[in-house]
Amino acid sequence: MLIEIKDIYKIYNEGKESEVRALDGVSLHIDRGEFVAIIGASGSGKSTLMNILGCLDIPTYGDYILDGTDITDRSDRQLARIRNKEIGFIFQGYNLIPALTAYENVELPLIYQGVPLWKREELVMEALEKVAMADRWKHKPAEMSGGQQQRVAIARAIATHPPIIMADEPTGALDSKTGKHVLEILHTLNEEGTTIILITHDNGIAATARRVVRISDGHIVADGTREEVGL
Amino acid sequence: MKLGQAVKMAAKSIFSNVGRSALTMLGIIIGLAAVIILVSYAQGQNAAMKAYYESMGTNTVQVSASTWNSSINVSQALYDYCLGLSDHVVGVTPNGSVWSDTKISYESKTLTGEDWNTRINIYMGNDQYGLCNDFKIARGRELSYLDIEKLNQVCVLGSEAAQQIFAFADPLDKTITINGIPFRVVGIYQSKAQGKNLGTSENNQWILDEIKRKDRMILIPSTMTRYFNQNRPIEEYVVKVKSSDDIATVVTSLNGYLSGLISENNGYFSVGSPETWQAQENEAAALQQRFLGGIAAISLLVGGIGIMNIMLVTVTERTREIGIRKAIGAERKSIIVQFLIEAAMICGIGGLFGIGVGYVGTLIVGKLSFGIILIPSPGVTVGAAAISVALGIIFGMYPAVKASGLQPVVALRAD
Ligand SMILES: Nc1ncnc2c1ncn2[C@@H]1O[C@H](COP(=O)(O)OP(=O)(O)O)[C@@H](O)[C@H]1O
Ligand SMILES: [Mg+2]
Repeated sequence: MLIEIKDIYKIYNEGKESEVRALDGVSLHIDRGEFVAIIGASGSGKSTLMNILGCLDIPTYGDYILDGTDITDRSDRQLARIRNKEIGFIFQGYNLIPALTAYENVELPLIYQGVPLWKREELVMEALEKVAMADRWKHKPAEMSGGQQQRVAIARAIATHPPIIMADEPTGALDSKTGKHVLEILHTLNEEGTTIILITHDNGIAATARRVVRISDGHIVADGTREEVGL
Repeated sequence: MKLGQAVKMAAKSIFSNVGRSALTMLGIIIGLAAVIILVSYAQGQNAAMKAYYESMGTNTVQVSASTWNSSINVSQALYDYCLGLSDHVVGVTPNGSVWSDTKISYESKTLTGEDWNTRINIYMGNDQYGLCNDFKIARGRELSYLDIEKLNQVCVLGSEAAQQIFAFADPLDKTITINGIPFRVVGIYQSKAQGKNLGTSENNQWILDEIKRKDRMILIPSTMTRYFNQNRPIEEYVVKVKSSDDIATVVTSLNGYLSGLISENNGYFSVGSPETWQAQENEAAALQQRFLGGIAAISLLVGGIGIMNIMLVTVTERTREIGIRKAIGAERKSIIVQFLIEAAMICGIGGLFGIGVGYVGTLIVGKLSFGIILIPSPGVTVGAAAISVALGIIFGMYPAVKASGLQPVVALRAD
């Protein structure tokens, strides 16, 4: 089992009147090679779940076992390593660094990993080719369309060849055609063995996943194939 | 992450916002320039003072005394007392000068000492005048004991005086007149400026001028006082002591002797040596320099706080970038290093400009206050560069640590 979370709670302003239980006792298993879509209404807790799965956030309560090791109480440094090596992130807002070119953005995780220059060059161009952005390597984010930026963001996510890709509404800001293209890339990656966790509120996109998890008010309310979940 | 990468990233972010970076640097530029100018000024002052006092003679004690009590012949008594200090003393000379305006003539040429810058001073001394005042004979001879005794109308020229009166002619055995009284030139002193080690201030025009002024002199026998100063006795002596250890002893002895001889209401006296004067001036200068140094330190502090301020703004502005970097695997350490290098680089570049401004400022200050070409020493330059980078690291530390501590999810939410 690749990912296992047990009784995860994320509670904001706990004990106060403004308390929000973004995650209210969530348990989930994800196996290597799965393509999981997490769906739910806006504010249901999807992003919170992904941030915790991706070690970007820490749960208020609960345990997280990644690839057989409990990482619940890991140090900042160890979590940084995990984010760098094990997980690639794709965000709705692309989150590229504006001052850097496409090449430099994709290179960044490799730099933090300590990959030598000659190897980086190879890996960056390989990743950019995979998303058909190799010819735009010199461009800055402001000089690219949303779809192109998202493809560069995907290239950055896959440059280190992480076993897991987490995407939070990756098509949310794109028109349907470009969105489809991005989805295709994710499927290709999954066919090559990468575990994909895709967050979306679009049922049509979720329907392309083999497994769908529905979340509502911080609870998992359904988990299964799209038929089982009722898409 | 490698250091080279971090430097590249820092450079990128500095040059992506040139205006802001320049403003940040301004504080450092001003602070550093102030430090360089003040330190260089102090060094120039010290060097000038050292050379100036050295040109007065080393291991010498200057003493003067005067009294209205006509029953005491201070001049003779003082001279005798100085000779009596023979354990510590190698020479004593009267050190009189002609007060009135003088007219020095040679053939058809006449020099009146009206212009202070070219004025030739007439001194009255004995056969030990050169020894006591660190003048060395270049050609001819010193005054002799007999010249003094016999009131021989002979003189020794300082090198500048010889140049002014004779230009390229040979002064030896020529006769000049001073206020109409003929004097035969028996010797010429070496220039004090020549072969003088002025250290780093070789083109130190002000000091050279001061020393040249010493060369602009004519020495005549001390007994000539009757023709020039209405026969007033010479009441000033220069004593050459054996070694610098003897200075204090001789000064103390002379003070003791003279305070016994002259009471407060019937005259005055003074005893001192260039060494002790220099020490006193050094002390005063050190106090002044410490004060100026404090001001410079404050201006650097203000510059550093400016850096911290701007770095804090930068961190806030780039919170999202920090979030992205953390999300893709940057450790705290990498973020800290990145911002520290950025701060150090801004300060370093600002420091280079500051050094440039400091050089120009030092040149101007040197010209205005000493009339010389004053250049900051290599030590000051290197020190200033090091200080500027250190400032960046010290004042960049807090913003950098603050930036690195952000939770990735929190940072990513920022816009
Ligand atoms: N920092 C926060 N402080 C308070 N409440 C928050 C915070 N972040 C998220 N929430 C709340 O948690 C709930 C889940 O948010 P989120 O996971 O972003 O939902 P989704 O991604 O499904 O739209 C929402 O009600 C949201 O308002
Ligand atoms: Mg969301």
